[in-house]
Amino acid sequence: MISKLWASIRKEYLLLIRDKVGLSILFLMPMILIFVMTLIQDSAFKTLNEKGIPIVYVNNDKDSLGFMIEKGLRSNDLCTYYDSINGQPATLSSARQAVADGKFLVGIVVPQGATAAIRKNVSWLIDETVNTDSVGPETQIQVLDSVEITILIDPVTRKSFINSVISNLREFISEIKTKIMFETFSVEIAEKIPDKTPGPKNAYEKTQIIKYKEAYASKSERVIVPNAVQHNVPAWTIFAMFFIAIPLSGSIMKEKSEGSIFRLHTMPGSYLFLTSGKLILYVTVCLIQFLLMLSVGLYFLPMLGLPVLVLGNSFLGIILLTLSTALAASGYGLMVGTLASTEQQGAIMGSLSILLLSALGGIWVPTYIMPQAMRNISAFSPMNWSLDGYYALFLRGSGLRSIGLDAAKLLVFFVATLCIASLTYRIKRKI
Amino acid sequence: MNTTNIIEIKNLTKRYKNATETSVKGISFSIKRYEIFGLLGPNGAGKTTTISMLCGLFPPTSGTVLIEGRDISRELEPIKRIIGIVPQDIALYASLTAAENLSFYGHMYGLKGKHLKGKIALWLERFGLSQSANRLVSGFSNGMKRRVNLIAAILHQPKILFLDEPTVGVDVQSRNVIIGYLKELNKEGMTIIYTSHHMEEAENFCTHVSIIDHGEILMAGSPAALISAQPGSAKLENVFLQLTTSKLRD
Repeated sequence: MISKLWASIRKEYLLLIRDKVGLSILFLMPMILIFVMTLIQDSAFKTLNEKGIPIVYVNNDKDSLGFMIEKGLRSNDLCTYYDSINGQPATLSSARQAVADGKFLVGIVVPQGATAAIRKNVSWLIDETVNTDSVGPETQIQVLDSVEITILIDPVTRKSFINSVISNLREFISEIKTKIMFETFSVEIAEKIPDKTPGPKNAYEKTQIIKYKEAYASKSERVIVPNAVQHNVPAWTIFAMFFIAIPLSGSIMKEKSEGSIFRLHTMPGSYLFLTSGKLILYVTVCLIQFLLMLSVGLYFLPMLGLPVLVLGNSFLGIILLTLSTALAASGYGLMVGTLASTEQQGAIMGSLSILLLSALGGIWVPTYIMPQAMRNISAFSPMNWSLDGYYALFLRGSGLRSIGLDAAKLLVFFVATLCIASLTYRIKRKI
Repeated sequence: MNTTNIIEIKNLTKRYKNATETSVKGISFSIKRYEIFGLLGPNGAGKTTTISMLCGLFPPTSGTVLIEGRDISRELEPIKRIIGIVPQDIALYASLTAAENLSFYGHMYGLKGKHLKGKIALWLERFGLSQSANRLVSGFSNGMKRRVNLIAAILHQPKILFLDEPTVGVDVQSRNVIIGYLKELNKEGMTIIYTSHHMEEAENFCTHVSIIDHGEILMAGSPAALISAQPGSAKLENVFLQLTTSKLRD
């Protein structure tokens, strides 16, 4: 039995090693995909994170509000600050044109007299509070004047992203406005009520009782930041592992077209035993693919200045999930090869179904940005189970227990594909 | 079961799914141990269908096949161990060498180690393929492929060897070598079931022939008996043409 199995594995190995196209599909294609996709997505990440959002700022105020916003923008890592366009100081019209041309993602224009208006409003409030008789109808009209800060937005920018940026800008400007109001208020009070004991120093800072701390909810001791590497390495490794369905089904189809399947059918042993050599070899190929892709994430991508892949804490979890994925992928290939009647049919069925499963599984686009209906469908993709598992291990730093369900689903999928393959084989032989 | 009969077939019928005609129509015959049995017929006569059912490739629509007293529909696995088949089409891995192909098939029949290596070397030598043992089969001529195809079926010394048109597209030299060794194997105790279009070869090679057409056995007996039974026939080919008519077949 062992001797038969070994001979079968050896035969499959020799056939695979001599199939240069098949080998390149198995190893070269996913490596190229990881490099290309990670570099592309990392560049997008950098635009938003490291290099920051390009913002053009027009400070017509030339006073506290204008200067404080400028200072805040200059010191913020999220944005890259510009106040000139083509060497000329930015104006409302030139900023509008530049944003429309896509040179900047956002433009901020603070109008002239914005700080003065804030101060005037505060003064009016104090006057109204301290001496209500002095407040005339003219002052009331002044209070109704508002400071209009213009935020220009590149029309091609995604709405959700713009909403997030605008919300942050509003919060930031509002904070500055409050600070100016607070300071003006303190000065005005001191003038109006000179007998009063001076207020505490840094009064505004002392009012900041609520503070926010943002952290990724990872169980890992290391801080694992989601980035292009953390997504792309597991995603494209899963894709590559499932892509073995094409050479695996191709190998089954070749046996049919070359006639060797005819002889195999007359030999002792069940169909599943005769194909077990294929299964074992291709599962091994999947594991080698995984190690190769992992080494790309750990050693090669950092050489290109990309972040290093963080593996989380559970090596046992990684082994279990990878083995389950490899079995599911191999079983799928076996099923496709048995269902198809010709090599062309197998290749088309294999490649299209894998593209579909990967799209649904969140390999190309993360599932959380899919509509709810698609998210419900994606829950049936084995690639999604696997990707979920790797996210849990690599991003959340979870352990064996948290990927148990995903691994179990993959193993059930593997058994189901074998059953379908075996049943199809029996049905097809009843000609 | 008659102890001299290694194969007994009763009312064997095959009608493929969605087919308009029945391919094999309730044929019955038996094959004696150590016989070289020729199943001869024109294209589409039902030869390959019959052989395929005898090898267990697919089940008959009805009827029984007993091989060594075992019913093929119930005891296929032990039967598979005692049969060898040389299919009409080459059944080899083109990307493997001759030796690698034979090693794989040998292992599948339970052979291993030095014993298997020895057998491979012996048969490659006998068929003049020693020099080509480590060459990929894809680079072989049709005659060389046919020889390797035959070796793959006899490595495990089966009791029964099925040959479906084993010499199609083979040059005279290769054919003589193949037929010569098949006769030797028969002398050593192997029962051979053989199909062919080549009447002269069948006449010289077979000890018993059955002529089949339209899924029915038309005549059976030794080649000499068939020739003498058919008036005006000097060769098996004349008998064949008289029985199956000269009309072209698809």
